[in-house]
Amino acid sequence: MLETRNLDKSFGAVHVTRNVLLKLERGERRVILGPNGAGKTTLFNLLVGELTPNSGSVHLAGEDVTALPVAKRARRGLSRSYQKNTLFDGLTVEENLGLAAAVHTGHATRLWSDSLAKPEVREIVAEVAEQVRLMPFLHAKVSEISYGVRRQLEVGVALATRPLVLLMDEPTSGVGPEMAKGFHDLLNGLPRDLTLLIIEHDMDLAFDVADTITVLNYGEVVFDGLPEEARGSKLLKDIYLGSWEDA
Amino acid sequence: MFRHTPLRYGVLVLLAAAALFQAFTAEYFGLEILTEILILAMLVLALDMVAGFGGMVSLCHGALMGVGAYAYAMLTTKAGIAPPVAMAGSVAITGAAAWVIGAVCARSHGIYFIMATLAFGQMAYSWVFEAPVFGGDDGLGGIARLDLTMIGLDLTDSRSFALFCLFALGAAYGATVLILRSGLGRSLSGIMHNEQRMRALGLTVWRVKADVFGLSGMIAGLAGALAAQHIMFVSPGLLGWTVSGEALVVVILGGLGTLVGPLVGAAAFVVLKHELSAVTPYWHLVVGVILIAVVMSRANGIFGWVEARWGARIDRRVADATRKQQPGEVVSDA
Repeated sequence: MLETRNLDKSFGAVHVTRNVLLKLERGERRVILGPNGAGKTTLFNLLVGELTPNSGSVHLAGEDVTALPVAKRARRGLSRSYQKNTLFDGLTVEENLGLAAAVHTGHATRLWSDSLAKPEVREIVAEVAEQVRLMPFLHAKVSEISYGVRRQLEVGVALATRPLVLLMDEPTSGVGPEMAKGFHDLLNGLPRDLTLLIIEHDMDLAFDVADTITVLNYGEVVFDGLPEEARGSKLLKDIYLGSWEDA
Repeated sequence: MFRHTPLRYGVLVLLAAAALFQAFTAEYFGLEILTEILILAMLVLALDMVAGFGGMVSLCHGALMGVGAYAYAMLTTKAGIAPPVAMAGSVAITGAAAWVIGAVCARSHGIYFIMATLAFGQMAYSWVFEAPVFGGDDGLGGIARLDLTMIGLDLTDSRSFALFCLFALGAAYGATVLILRSGLGRSLSGIMHNEQRMRALGLTVWRVKADVFGLSGMIAGLAGALAAQHIMFVSPGLLGWTVSGEALVVVILGGLGTLVGPLVGAAAFVVLKHELSAVTPYWHLVVGVILIAVVMSRANGIFGWVEARWGARIDRRVADATRKQQPGEVVSDA
């Protein structure tokens, strides 16, 4: 469903992504681990087109999308949520979801009808609000909801475009343990045919949700395998998991 | 996102009533001032659509109005086209010009967007000023007004023309509301709140900006066609950057992003201008002081201040009154 071939990116002398090879099957849930500065978010930016690679390619559902801009990749089914909330702050939760659903249904550029009032859009809004547990907050403005609920909305907005592949950049970033537990259930409740690629520092969530795990270090893939293999990997313990296992 | 609140409806009704009262009771000079207000109101409505709801602060809307005025003048005086067709043509030409400007400037933001639109406006001004075909700095005269005698309206009469401008402003306001409530308008609002996210959702951002800029240009073009008919003469001064600057001042004075506010601002600005200029030639200084006071007060213009002070209270009272009138509640009370 999503594949990268020798994806490489440098900023001047700093090599942030080195020949990254990834292959995600339809419905696969992969978690990307790695210490700070490993190039995880850069990889996401390369995948969605916010950055252009120096070399290598990105393939979505068999099509080479490397040359496509962000919006076109999104329309082909590649959606993302951000590490820092990137929402429509002055608008309500319902409007946030509605804007995303309107783009997906093609109502976002129509002049003769209100996109947010369209039944198809309202249906998606209701469905996604249910999936990410936002029903009680639909009419609240983003500025009126808690940080944790905003993280749910961040994922909801990405989901409302009905993606084939959803990239989530630290969905539980900044939320407490209780809320993080809620996120496990939320992610496990997403449709099984949706391909998920998640950057996560919360190891419990990573091992709970992931079908496969990829570890990046200094921009390079140093591990690619099953969660059980990741737990036993000495290399991983050395570069990342040591502190978690000891804790 | 655009919302019509009870306060906004109320102010709109008051403004329309005041304009109608003035149109039916004023003498020639009063009618000329009213027409000036109505045409300026149309221009600032167009500007508020892009600046207040899309974050595109344009310094070429004066030039767009000028394009509409010149297009109408050229089509009627040089091409001999009938005024109704020329009016539609001038609106279409200005819309097309605005779409191109919007498409080119869409990728720039903030001060760069302002400068790019200013450059477009000044290019149009220079062209009109220099080109003999447009009459150069002498301008073009002998511009005819629409002939609506078949419906009993003689637009050569100041009163009828003022009423016609009021009707046109009402239509432009209605169109603006429809645009802002459409999918395109909602997306524009999304872009203003978070352009990066709208793009990440799959929206072709530049296209939405260009489309709305084009629609806004059409309204500015309509204002221009009316301005040309009002004074029956066009000159390059119509396209000058000061006209765009004045329009921006009016939008800020009235209340950016409220639609109703700029209408209030247009009325306040024109009345202030005429009253103060009768007293002192330095009336711009007074307007400047008022503008600084408005900006420093951190209120969103005159209407924004009213809305912040009484808006929520009025809206709540109207909502309560509406609930009490619902049949189910009346029965339960009984």
